Amino acid sequence: MNPDNISVIKVRDLLMVTMPPDPDDPTISALQEKVLNSMEKYEAKGVVLDISAVETLDSFFARTVSETAQMVTLMGGRTIISGMQPAVAVAATEIGLTLGNVETALNVDRALDMVNKPKPGTSHD
Amino acid sequence: MTETLQGEMAIKTEGDIVLVRRTTREVSSQTGFGITDVTRIVTASSEMARNIFKYAGEGVMRWQRIQRGDRVGVEFQFEDHGPGIADVQLAMQEGYTTGEGLGMGLPGAKRLVDELEVKSVVGKGTTITLRKWLKNLK
Repeated sequence: MNPDNISVIKVRDLLMVTMPPDPDDPTISALQEKVLNSMEKYEAKGVVLDISAVETLDSFFARTVSETAQMVTLMGGRTIISGMQPAVAVAATEIGLTLGNVETALNVDRALDMVNKPKPGTSHD
Repeated sequence: MTETLQGEMAIKTEGDIVLVRRTTREVSSQTGFGITDVTRIVTASSEMARNIFKYAGEGVMRWQRIQRGDRVGVEFQFEDHGPGIADVQLAMQEGYTTGEGLGMGLPGAKRLVDELEVKSVVGKGTTITLRKWLKNLK
């Protein structure tokens, strides 16, 4: 699979990233680099990573995604994972995978709604 | 479709991990598993293939449809001639990791299938067998 086929699109001040259904490891690694470079290039405020097509979330994928989210945080951005399939959520939980503290949303619509609200745990009222 | 009743494939490259996922998905779907069980089997198999690639360099996956009494299921066997596991009991414990691993390993995979058997001899290699049974349709 060609790592170039991860699409990273700038929408307003966000990056929209769509993962292919069954990415190999080089594609998953390429995702990280592409997202971080695009953050800088487009001066984005955050990333919505849509995994609605993804059929298997294994340990490498989960680790890369949570690491990428941490890196985006270091760069001053926010990451929201959207669209995890029910079966993927079941298998990932049972095997013991977590995405760390990455925010998640049911779908891209909900993710975009979240972006306009403050991140949970950051308000002081 | 008789051609997927049994078979084998080599695991030698990172790309073969993707092929393992595709094969296990196809075999499990054709056996009659639903999407959730298929995803469980594929996820566990992906981890086993990754372990082979990472620790042994190369190995083989064999699959077959199995029957026990009136139950039907699938079996996926992952065999390598890598370093082996010194303490299988320890490796099966929750939270066990070699440090460079990702901490899911065998206990995680075991939760996704009905049976997980490990045979390992240090210096000779490891064979891990996963089995999942179709729920009885009464």
